[in-house]
Amino acid sequence: MALSTVAAGFPSPADDYIDVGIDLNEVLIRHPSSTFFLRVSGDSMVEAGIQDGDLLVVDRSLEARPGQVVVAILDGAFTLKRLARHHGRLRLEAANSAYPPLELHQCGDVQIWGVAIHVIHALVRHG
Amino acid sequence: MADVLALIDANNFYASCEQAFDPGLIGRPVVVLSNNDGCVVSRSSEARQLGIAMGKPYFQIAKQLARHGVVVRSSNYALYGDMSQRLMSSLEPFVAELEVYSIDEAFARLPRPRNGELRTWAGELRSRIRHNLGLPIAIGLAPSKVLAKLANRIAKGDHRHAGVFDLGRENSHDPWLEQTPVEEIWGVGRQLSRWCRLRGIANARQLRDMGSGELQAKAGVVGLRLQLELAGVSCLPLEEGPTAKRETCVSRSFSRPICHELELRKAVASYVVRAAEKLRRQQQRSGRLTVFARTSPFTSGFYSQAASTALPVASNDTNVLLQAALPLVALVYRPHKRFAKAGVLLQELQGQDQLQHHLWTTLTAEQQQRREALMQSIDQLNHRYGSGTVTWGACGLHNPWMMRREQLSRAATTRLRELPTAWAQ
Repeated sequence: MALSTVAAGFPSPADDYIDVGIDLNEVLIRHPSSTFFLRVSGDSMVEAGIQDGDLLVVDRSLEARPGQVVVAILDGAFTLKRLARHHGRLRLEAANSAYPPLELHQCGDVQIWGVAIHVIHALVRHG
Repeated sequence: MADVLALIDANNFYASCEQAFDPGLIGRPVVVLSNNDGCVVSRSSEARQLGIAMGKPYFQIAKQLARHGVVVRSSNYALYGDMSQRLMSSLEPFVAELEVYSIDEAFARLPRPRNGELRTWAGELRSRIRHNLGLPIAIGLAPSKVLAKLANRIAKGDHRHAGVFDLGRENSHDPWLEQTPVEEIWGVGRQLSRWCRLRGIANARQLRDMGSGELQAKAGVVGLRLQLELAGVSCLPLEEGPTAKRETCVSRSFSRPICHELELRKAVASYVVRAAEKLRRQQQRSGRLTVFARTSPFTSGFYSQAASTALPVASNDTNVLLQAALPLVALVYRPHKRFAKAGVLLQELQGQDQLQHHLWTTLTAEQQQRREALMQSIDQLNHRYGSGTVTWGACGLHNPWMMRREQLSRAATTRLRELPTAWAQ
């Protein structure tokens, strides 16, 4: 049995060259089972290129390193910050000078939920 | 060295999923309710510590829950199903073989290392799953499936085990088997446990050591296998890979009884729509369709009826299945009966590849393709914008009998419009 549907006429010369197309999941996600999407709300990360309404791709399997943008749990909510080392101490910084940094040793209960690996920003909004 | 069998499961799976995507719930008591917000089916450890019992009807304990500030959630199957798949595929690389046993538990086989110690392996697995998915898991290790299940129960029963118990490292199994009541043994049903109790057999150790002849006379070869498994002889193999389903069923209890035939028709139609979607996702077609309906077994005049029809050509086309199902509703319906539940069973399932070709259909190949494309588009729309975005007129709109899920959380991992928020403020 032929795999493609039976067609009258000549077969397309491109038939043997058909590719499956580009799958953005493959481009953006290395660890599918531990990767989640979140929606950004607010402007505290604009200088890191992350804007209000953007789609954030977060990998929970990665260990957060200074310099990376992370989702932290602060006061019972997912909060977007950059993990930074400052004078030998870790802190969470906004990427917007209007927001003060947060020293980790001063706030008892901060948990890093995941590391943001991509941000998807729409240039044209649909609907 | 011999292989080890493991039973790995998530603790309080539904409640843990709710906590994983709502950080406001961490450390707070959470309960998840069954279909129709009926009764408690999952409790966070905080809720358990408050003494909230499993299986309690919600209406009976609503006040108690409110008083303790317990967060109440409806079952969010989209979220739990997705998290289950993530859990199972995360376990895969840690074991040699995996059998997914239910939404939140799996059996696994792995080799025992030379020094016999699996604590490091188990600790690493637990912290990985906790870190990557936010789910707490428990691991029971033993030479057989029945014992692995028993070891898992011990692992969860005492926090000093830190979620891991390896029966294979114990000098004697006896004390552990003795603290396991017969009712708690995997594979011992209500009937067999009652029979055991009548004979003075109260725990797993006694069941293992009783005369095989007597047990075989009662439970046959199943009983013998159970005894061997309890003795540490593995005789239940792991079942790998999901076996292709032979039938699929969609049925629901109504949130209030249905008396009118038209309402029953709408309910059945909506189940057909759902079942057809399932078939298409599984890439299967059905050759036979059964509709059933029943009243509540707890009221007098219990009534239950089913009607079945063969499809001329196996199909997963919602239109075809609706045309087959709706006439059956008239056959199961009885006036003056208060229907509590109805369902649709699709049987004689076959894969797309074994499709016997359309010699019988009245549709041309092109019409057939268009119908398939239509089904595909509808599935995509419903996936993207939420189930029920596109549906069939036969299902009706705003049906009061539909499942109650008043405290439903978001489909945080599967729907673009319901993603959790990352606050940048």
